[in-house]
Amino acid sequence: MNKDIQKNTKQIGAPQKENRMRRLVKKVHLDTKELVLLQLLIGVFLLMSILSPGRFLSVYNLQSMAYQFPEFGIFALAMMVIVVTGGINLSITYSATLSSILGAVVLVALNNLGVQPLVTVVIGVLVIIISSIACGAVNGLIVAHIGITPMLATLGTMTLFEGIALNITKGGAISGFPDMFQWFGNSAILGIPVPLLIFVLVIIATYFILQRSSFGAKVYMIGCNPTATRFSGVNVKKVLFLLYIYSGILTGFAGIIMASRYNSAKESYGYTYLLQSVAAAVLGGTDISGGFGKVFGTVVSVLILQVISSGLNIFGVNRFITDVIMGMILIVVLTINFVNNRMEEKALLSKKVVTA
Amino acid sequence: MNNIFSQIKRSKEMGILAILVVISIIISAFNSSFLTFGNLLDVVKSNIVLGIMSMGMLLVLLTGGIDVSIASVISAVTVIIGRFMVDYSSNIFLIFLVGVVAGSLMGLINGLLIAKLKIPPIVATLGTMSVIFGLVLYLTNGNWITGIPQNFIDFGRVTIGQFPVAGSDRIQGIPIQFLFLLFAIALTWFILKYTMIGRGIYAIGGNRDSAERIGMNSENITLFIYTYEGFLIGLAGVVHTSIMRQVDPNAFIGFEIQVIAAVVLGGASVLGGYGSVSGTIIGVSLFCIINNGLILMHIPTFWQKIVVGVVLITSISFDVIQKRMHDKKNIRVDIDESESSFKRLSVVQKSTSQA
Repeated sequence: MNKDIQKNTKQIGAPQKENRMRRLVKKVHLDTKELVLLQLLIGVFLLMSILSPGRFLSVYNLQSMAYQFPEFGIFALAMMVIVVTGGINLSITYSATLSSILGAVVLVALNNLGVQPLVTVVIGVLVIIISSIACGAVNGLIVAHIGITPMLATLGTMTLFEGIALNITKGGAISGFPDMFQWFGNSAILGIPVPLLIFVLVIIATYFILQRSSFGAKVYMIGCNPTATRFSGVNVKKVLFLLYIYSGILTGFAGIIMASRYNSAKESYGYTYLLQSVAAAVLGGTDISGGFGKVFGTVVSVLILQVISSGLNIFGVNRFITDVIMGMILIVVLTINFVNNRMEEKALLSKKVVTA
Repeated sequence: MNNIFSQIKRSKEMGILAILVVISIIISAFNSSFLTFGNLLDVVKSNIVLGIMSMGMLLVLLTGGIDVSIASVISAVTVIIGRFMVDYSSNIFLIFLVGVVAGSLMGLINGLLIAKLKIPPIVATLGTMSVIFGLVLYLTNGNWITGIPQNFIDFGRVTIGQFPVAGSDRIQGIPIQFLFLLFAIALTWFILKYTMIGRGIYAIGGNRDSAERIGMNSENITLFIYTYEGFLIGLAGVVHTSIMRQVDPNAFIGFEIQVIAAVVLGGASVLGGYGSVSGTIIGVSLFCIINNGLILMHIPTFWQKIVVGVVLITSISFDVIQKRMHDKKNIRVDIDESESSFKRLSVVQKSTSQA
């Protein structure tokens, strides 16, 4: 509460001159924070290119990166839309794998029956999307309508989804899809990988839903203050419910890409993305207590993390040390944020003293 | 009498205790070996680590924080003491000291990030988790540490008392590790009940701003609870090694979720301010008994996660719905009171005069 008030007063209290600058930056929809992120991305990219000439910037590496980060990016966006409301969605990876396992069962069954591959794939994808919607709806029901704290609710559904998925696979992986299904994860249109195309579509959709619609405005309002939002006539329950379903659909897309890329479905696929997606959302400027955060920032921080991990991989750095470095980056960036905020506050205070 | 009854009905612990009793009855109806001394002892022994760590997590949740790094911290502690006792010394006292100091230091790092740098707990512990676990796996390469000194193994086998096992000639004692669980429970209970820090923990969880206004130093208290949690994890690490007699750096993957789930089952709120030692004990017991019962009832292990998930969701839902009905009743009282404006006026006057 107190923090919100502080933030609001900061905005109101900003000088007129800065407002014009801000309006200019706003025209390209970029915040100063996001500009910093963009610079960081370019810097990291250049650093990696210079440090390993010919290898990082090779077509092969760029292409393999383009196949790798879309699923991570989609998870990060699925996480970010929920974090904006002040919640968290711990069930994203299991929602993705449960949906893809259900889809896989249908795909394998139809494939064995000898149904036409195209029909099989279409039905399989539909099953994945529908089950991901169902997963999202379960989350939405528990969080929005029953009113359980998102962290606990999704902790419960995470265990639940994992259990259901385990029960179907009995711990193994399901494979034997029609070859056509691999199109989603392993092919390209005009040289652009299909997963990347799906990711771009997801980015555009999320951008319009979150930042260009009245629905999105309500989402941000809920993140700032759910009670005030309810009293200003917004159906908070409905908005939250729909948002969790949207987050679920995104995990469905990630599930399709993962199942297609690995050509199988297993409950533990993508588990490491869970905490990474929180990290990506937070690095991208999303406030973990809700109300702030943009699609652009999240996407850029996903790219930064991907560039760093690919680069370290090319240098032959141990994969566990990569984890260490990722953790360090998260802590360091947040520390810098903290120091920056302190400095800003101090500057504001001294300004007030001078004018007084 | 009526008052006591309503109080019992309203208390969270009683609700979970009722669930615990019902589930125990169901399990023992299916398998008579559930309610035997030997089985219950096994249940306790295999969940001592969970129990000790849940006490630390309780304090963290009470302040409205969360710690997802606990699994990586205990992995690090077990690896450190494993290497220590294999390479340097098998002195049991020194092993405990090293384990506890290592755990406390890692907890202190979390505490510093959260208290001093104001990084949100979930993000800070996420960062330390990935750093600590990365380092552990890099240094051990995922390999087990074996060749634990004999005197430490002997220490882990010590039992207290001798109890005849019903239906057989076996004699069973209470494992020494149980004492450490009791120690952790007693210490946590004492801190919460009888110290200023304990009051502060509840106060911060309830409302950080008001707690600071009445003079609680929230930074120091936050530092304390994360360090204390690290201390307990260090203890749990030594206890775990004494039970397992080897060190597996990957043994604790996903353990943080289990600890959080067990504490939350016991009625602690992740928003802070609510939760008790007794509730946590009941929650942890419920968690363990469900897992044990499913095995005794010959239900495939694949069902365990589903049952735990459903129990978690329903018990929290039940709690939330009950609280909402209680609130609704309060609102109705307000409306009834305000029916006559005179009455309302007098209430307002009364409250202002009281204030």
